[in-house]
Amino acid sequence: MITITINDKEITLDQPMSVLEASRQAGIKIPTLCNHEILKPYGGCRLCVVEVERMPRLQNSCTLIAADGMVVKTESDVISEVRRGILEFLLINHPLDCPYCDKAGECELQDLVNKYGATAGRYKEEKRKVPESRKDQIFARNMERCVACTRCVRMCHDVQGSSSIAMIGRGGHTRMEPFTAESFNCEYCGNCLTVCPVGAILSRLNMHSFRPWQVDKEVETVCSYCGVGCSLIAQVRDDSIKRVIPKLGLGVNKGLLCSRGRFGYEYIGSEERLKTPLVKKDGELVQSTWSEALGIVADKLTEISKVNSGSSIAGIASSRCSNEDNYVFQKFMRMACGTNNIDSVSRTGFAAAQKYFEDLLGQGITGNMVDGLKHSETILVLGGDPTNVNPVLGLSIRQAARDGANIVVIGNAGGLEKFKTVQVVPHVFEEAEVLESLLLAVSKEKGVRGERPFVDKELRVLADRAPKTDVEGFEEAKKALLESGSTSIVMGMDLVQRTDGHRLLFTVAGLTYLLEARLYLLCERPNEQGLIDAGCVPEMLPGGRPINISDFRAKFEAEWNGTLPENDGLTILEMIEGARNHTIKAMYVMGENPAFNLPDSQSVKDALSGLDFLVVQDIFLTETAEMADVVLPALGWTEKAGTYTNLERRIQLQKKVVEQTGGMEDWRIIAELSNKMGYAMNYSETEDIMREIARVSPLYRDLSYNEIAQGNCLWPYHGEPLRGEVNEVPGMHDVDKEYNADFYLAVEKPLFHSGTLSRRSEALMKIYPEPLLKVGGSTAAKIGLQDGDRVQFTTSSGTIEALVAIDDSIKDNRVYYSNNFRSGGVFSVMKFNIDKVTNAPGIEGCEVRIKKL
Amino acid sequence: MFNDTVINEINEIRAKYPDRKSALLPALYVAQREFGWLSQEAMESVAHALNLPAAFVRGTASFYSMFKHKPVGRNVIQLCTNVSCMILGAEKLVDFLKTKYGVEPNATSEDGRFSLVIMECIGACGTAPAMLVNTDFHENLTEKSLEKILDKYK
Ligand code: SF4
Ligand code: SF4
Ligand code: SF4
Ligand code: FES
Repeated sequence: MITITINDKEITLDQPMSVLEASRQAGIKIPTLCNHEILKPYGGCRLCVVEVERMPRLQNSCTLIAADGMVVKTESDVISEVRRGILEFLLINHPLDCPYCDKAGECELQDLVNKYGATAGRYKEEKRKVPESRKDQIFARNMERCVACTRCVRMCHDVQGSSSIAMIGRGGHTRMEPFTAESFNCEYCGNCLTVCPVGAILSRLNMHSFRPWQVDKEVETVCSYCGVGCSLIAQVRDDSIKRVIPKLGLGVNKGLLCSRGRFGYEYIGSEERLKTPLVKKDGELVQSTWSEALGIVADKLTEISKVNSGSSIAGIASSRCSNEDNYVFQKFMRMACGTNNIDSVSRTGFAAAQKYFEDLLGQGITGNMVDGLKHSETILVLGGDPTNVNPVLGLSIRQAARDGANIVVIGNAGGLEKFKTVQVVPHVFEEAEVLESLLLAVSKEKGVRGERPFVDKELRVLADRAPKTDVEGFEEAKKALLESGSTSIVMGMDLVQRTDGHRLLFTVAGLTYLLEARLYLLCERPNEQGLIDAGCVPEMLPGGRPINISDFRAKFEAEWNGTLPENDGLTILEMIEGARNHTIKAMYVMGENPAFNLPDSQSVKDALSGLDFLVVQDIFLTETAEMADVVLPALGWTEKAGTYTNLERRIQLQKKVVEQTGGMEDWRIIAELSNKMGYAMNYSETEDIMREIARVSPLYRDLSYNEIAQGNCLWPYHGEPLRGEVNEVPGMHDVDKEYNADFYLAVEKPLFHSGTLSRRSEALMKIYPEPLLKVGGSTAAKIGLQDGDRVQFTTSSGTIEALVAIDDSIKDNRVYYSNNFRSGGVFSVMKFNIDKVTNAPGIEGCEVRIKKL
Repeated sequence: MFNDTVINEINEIRAKYPDRKSALLPALYVAQREFGWLSQEAMESVAHALNLPAAFVRGTASFYSMFKHKPVGRNVIQLCTNVSCMILGAEKLVDFLKTKYGVEPNATSEDGRFSLVIMECIGACGTAPAMLVNTDFHENLTEKSLEKILDKYK
């Protein structure tokens, strides 16, 4: 116990802390400038000085650790004079352009000078002149206003881990610059903006268009881009979002954001938004009315379900829609259309993996807090780059690395290149060999755990086959895993989109099981988990209850007033196959773009064009919507309320921020249709739907918006997780192929893009304007490529032209191209095989030839 | 980027220090020798060789005025014009350098032979005026001795 006296007040501290923190805890304010909650104490500005008895000179309270018996004074004439002096110095070179600066009103320097500063300066010389730099597309850098607190640099290096900026020069000429002094060319997280106390780094997105005190409202909501589900504040003026900022201490992200979350909000106000329903007449989509459009859809679906049966209808749900939207969607498909054919693009990754793991290890196995990563001794990363797919989760891995954790990366490390401690780069597509050897080694050491008979049985099979690998780094990886007292496994979907995906998944499940590790699945879209929980999978009802268990069926039939369809539902690739062979006649697509987002997109288009009837409900006229018979305009993020469930299975509220465009909420469109089709749905607001979910879903039992709004709606809520157990997985050990092409094409998941949304966001398009073919150093050397060269790359199904970017973190012969830009996604030239166990597409082995132009 | 010999040299430097950052200053001298000055490419090469962020390398380099931050001539003259040197005629020497060799302060002669940097005290007040040519020290300068000394630097 430490007792110190601050301003005659006795304070007891239960843990060691700085004098500044102790004062704050006691409600005593000390001015600071270089100090920031997210950053480590720095002791640079000296504004926080205090008098300490029996210590010579004034002391920096931010770096002074409180010791027992200390007597501190935080205000005195001497202290005031010192603070006044420091502020006067800071203003010597300051342009005093507050009337023009966007920061005015929320500027820490302005506030400090107002409170502690002198009324006039004495400096008469010429001020240092540094013209504002607008050489970066996103940031304006005004170094006349910089107070050299280094908060931005410490944020970029110590927290973001991008290390893209530095303090340049010396003395009065010290300033912050990115390496080239021009474009930042960084991760564009904008977290430096958050910490800059003055107007030295500003976002150019809405420059000079509002004052901080002129926002009409600030709404706390959740990011719409990925499955981390960062909390953010949308600031609105004149019914348009002016700025998106994080809030210190709030949510999963606690004050941090990534480029998509911070700068990607513009799509919501895009000119391209759909505003009225469209109906195909004479082969052309023409504007229509809600009543006409809904009438056509209701009639057509009713007709098809009567003439052909419900199972000739298929529904594709959306991991960008809320839990409420998805719940209503699957209920509509099952009860109004009479089909269990409900799935989503998530089947190509997250949903497939999630199901596999839950079958093997029980429900909730992936429900782990992102924060837990920071407390791991070893983190095994495989199947994707967390810092691109789920950037803010990636920051926790970087943090763990700084704190001394072992970061074991299987494959290319991407944004963890500077943070990995062990890397194993398997021979191309031989990840299974490496992982099975790893699993075998761990299992030899740890013995049988005896809780999951199937896993234990498979481990014995593995022991008989005794796989081996001689890949570099393997022994270190093994050691790191075996010696770790607390292990996390972070798995990306590249290892699921494989013909041998199930084998890889099994090894990861085995490692999770034997090491008692926390398992995290990278989750590209915001509500992939919620979609599953809402029942938008063919085989499960809401709450992850298997539809073929009669008790669950009976319960839902009673709740939903009707009979559930008998047939087993199809997964998404089976639905596409069904459309191709005309067993599926009608398809209802909600907030998804299968004609672009599924591999071999051209053949998906061909299949969809064979449908009798296609309905697409979306906020943009996507590639799929262009093919539809009826297009229904929906509302987007910030235009409607609802809940999302993130990758940790945290349920969070999404709030309405701006007025709507002319579309309708997804659930409301569906409910109206359902009523027209004779299955009654009486919801007047989203909360009604949540009340129903809380009643029928054993997982979300008794949840209310009130409780969710408290912010700690964490797995397993008040629910009852199911204990999964499988006995047999047919075809478990199939798949054996030779891979000996020179180069293979793989999917790039860029930090700055998501697809449909990001390409309508001006800021993100400025940061990453066109798709690049990313190649490793050795590939570049083999073909003789330089950064910026134009190339043509050709697979068995097509050719794409693109610019080359050399990425030294790519260590194998894969070349990466994204599927996010309108002009030719990588999926247009990739064929796939289906992994029969997971039903996900295997897209590996895509041989590619590269020609320099 | 550096060739293998230079990379080896930097690796040897690196081995002398407990961490990579400490090897930065000596590595920057190597880069300066190789590239003539600390160009972007030079700093990037150092960043690569030491596995440090490029911005960090530039931040450190920019703190030290004794690194060459722009292209310079084959020989760099660092002449002091602070109090003692000034009293003993350093400013005349500046003029002399200009008329005789065509080199002005903070610039390079057209033939690329000399660059001139004006220094604030190089610690030779007792033997002023004084200068450094590259890394060689010269004192008690007169126009005559200056001419003779510079003859050696082509
Ligand atoms: S935006 Fe992020 S990565 Fe870029 S300089 Fe700022 S903190 Fe660093
Ligand atoms: S740019 Fe802002 S955060 Fe960075 S050093 Fe200057 S004042 Fe501090
Ligand atoms: S990490 Fe994901 S949720 Fe967070 S800001 Fe970025 S895209 Fe949004
Ligand atoms: S806040 Fe303590 S020195 Fe800046």
